[in-house]
Amino acid sequence: MQALLLWGMLLVPMAAGGACLLIPSARRVLDVAAAGVIASSALCAGAAAFVFARGPIFSAGGWLFLDALSAYHMLVMALVFSLSGLYARGYFAHELDAGELAPAQARQFGALFCTSLASMVLVLVSNNLGVMWIGIEATTLLTAFLICVHVTPTSLEAMWKYLLVCSVGVAFAFLGTLLTGASAHRLHLSTSDALLWTRLRAEASVLDPLSIKAAFIFVLVGYGTKAGLAPMHTWLPDAHSQAPAPVSAIFSGFMLNAALYCVLRYLPLVEGATGSPSFCLDLLAAFGLVSIVVSAAFIVFQHDVKRLLAYHSVEHLGIVTLGFGLGGVGTFAALFHTLNHSVCKTLAFFCAGRLGQRHGTHDMEALSGTLRTAPPWGGALFGSLLALIGVAPFALFMSELQILRAAVDGRSFWTLGIFLAGGTIIFLGALRHAVAMAWGEPHAAPAPDHPGALDRFLAWGPLALLLVLGVWMPPPLGDALRQAAMVLGGGP
Amino acid sequence: MYAWSDVFLVFLVLTNLVLLGSSRLVVYIRVSAVQGIVLGFLPILTHLHDATPRLLLLTCLGLVTMGVKGVLFPWLLFRALREANVLREPRPFVGYIASTIIGIAALAVSLRVGSRLPLPGEAFSTLAVPVGLYTFFVGLFLVISRRKALTQVLGYLVLENGIYTLGVALVSEVSILVELGVLLDAFVAVFVMQIAIYHISHEFQSTDVDRLAKLKG
Repeated sequence: MQALLLWGMLLVPMAAGGACLLIPSARRVLDVAAAGVIASSALCAGAAAFVFARGPIFSAGGWLFLDALSAYHMLVMALVFSLSGLYARGYFAHELDAGELAPAQARQFGALFCTSLASMVLVLVSNNLGVMWIGIEATTLLTAFLICVHVTPTSLEAMWKYLLVCSVGVAFAFLGTLLTGASAHRLHLSTSDALLWTRLRAEASVLDPLSIKAAFIFVLVGYGTKAGLAPMHTWLPDAHSQAPAPVSAIFSGFMLNAALYCVLRYLPLVEGATGSPSFCLDLLAAFGLVSIVVSAAFIVFQHDVKRLLAYHSVEHLGIVTLGFGLGGVGTFAALFHTLNHSVCKTLAFFCAGRLGQRHGTHDMEALSGTLRTAPPWGGALFGSLLALIGVAPFALFMSELQILRAAVDGRSFWTLGIFLAGGTIIFLGALRHAVAMAWGEPHAAPAPDHPGALDRFLAWGPLALLLVLGVWMPPPLGDALRQAAMVLGGGP
Repeated sequence: MYAWSDVFLVFLVLTNLVLLGSSRLVVYIRVSAVQGIVLGFLPILTHLHDATPRLLLLTCLGLVTMGVKGVLFPWLLFRALREANVLREPRPFVGYIASTIIGIAALAVSLRVGSRLPLPGEAFSTLAVPVGLYTFFVGLFLVISRRKALTQVLGYLVLENGIYTLGVALVSEVSILVELGVLLDAFVAVFVMQIAIYHISHEFQSTDVDRLAKLKG
């Protein structure tokens, strides 16, 4: 039964993607894509709930499995994808009305959107580190053409950079995977057991410490490229700004986290082999801090709202990585921040996308005054930017506060100082942009559109969720977070 | 059979040096095809001494590798070559002579690093790890230092070849299923890149990647 669930999560989105290719009507394609994504998300949520209640699920001779860490990420993925699927239906319907989207483009979008969900499920459910890598590389290849649903010189440029930087980057991660396999030579694993995470985890103390350390460096640089950690983030602002908004939402909302999740899988292995967690954690904290500082420098000078959001992704992935690097409470807080950032950034890209469609540009100068001229999207964009820069009582503020606490607990005051300095620059820089967009003098105001009930739900729902999570942690979520943190050996 | 695998590995080093010093794209594609065929022999040679069911599987893997890397990729790339209508890599960011010298230096470094890594002694040849690393670096260097989109794809392929060599050398126990999955990914990657080159050459009337420089900051 549970095994069927694992296979269902992989096969349903693939079937939906295939179906999208066969449907002639563009509107039906978008309906099928949304329905397929929501159905798969429901399966994912069901499987995750099962794991939290009863423990890990295995299938296919141990090659597929789901434990608390992957189940938690699966919940985040399900949320981001179902929101984006719903939003894409409305977003592309506007383009169909304006005659800017051909049926072939809609079919391409539907098929790739659904199959990229399948590839991310593959990343989360594979126990074999090699298959996990295959899943990450598959996400790169499947999402590349999602960036240029509309073929323009800039979208092609973004797509080429994304394809090449991420493929080459992820190749480093495969080198790390091979070194991990080589470090287990004393275990004499059979062919089908080699590279199985559960096997390596159980006997981590026998792994060769030097090889596994080298492996971790390659893995961190490789998957870190895909996760958008500075200084390997160069593809990210281009890809996020050129892709259509629903695609930017899944990039920022989950694809980056999927890559970081792969790095996390290696933490217990290295810790077991070297006997101390400090090697990995120091590296993670360093990459996290560099990402925060680099993004702070770029956020201040942005003109394009989607690029601004893209640099916020670098910042928040940096904060999450820093949280993991601090360990202890930090691990718990970083996992919580993952959910908060994904929800918030998905919403922010929804708003930026619809505003961009109305105004025909993503330039922040042109979008000024949108709080009055374009409710609900202008209001929700302002709200989400406030949440992103860490204004209380949104949930992002709470998780960042916990990460700060972890830094204080660990007596890492330099880390604390750099994090606070970066956060302050970002706060001031982004607040200036947000206020100008909300209350600035409106330029040529396009005809007001009439947002439906679904639009209002997509704009205010995520913001309400962030507010609720900021003041009250539902016990099942707290329990899920603790279980996931335990897999990594952290937690309050 | 160890001697034979060394011959193939040395041959791989020579093909890398040809790639570094060449300007004609046709040569690039042909040399990468030769590399693909050579790589196909490696998994077979590792297990030639014992006739087990595993040898049969590895032979299949070798043949699939030759088919994909030796025939299918070159075919796709020649198609991209015709569509983009480019014959040469005219002005690389790093010149050919400098590239060759860097290549030789990288070989020395790879030999040194590869022989020092604390890896399991079961690698089928002491040369395999250094040559795998070297091929990886040459691929990386080609991606960074060349101007034409097609040459970058070839660089990516060479880098993949390096990983494949390391995969055969380091973990002879890696499942065939994983190896096939990696091969499938590489195939899709080249396929996707070929389509991308087609779009780029239509949109920009050129496949020079330094034209792709509008998005900044």
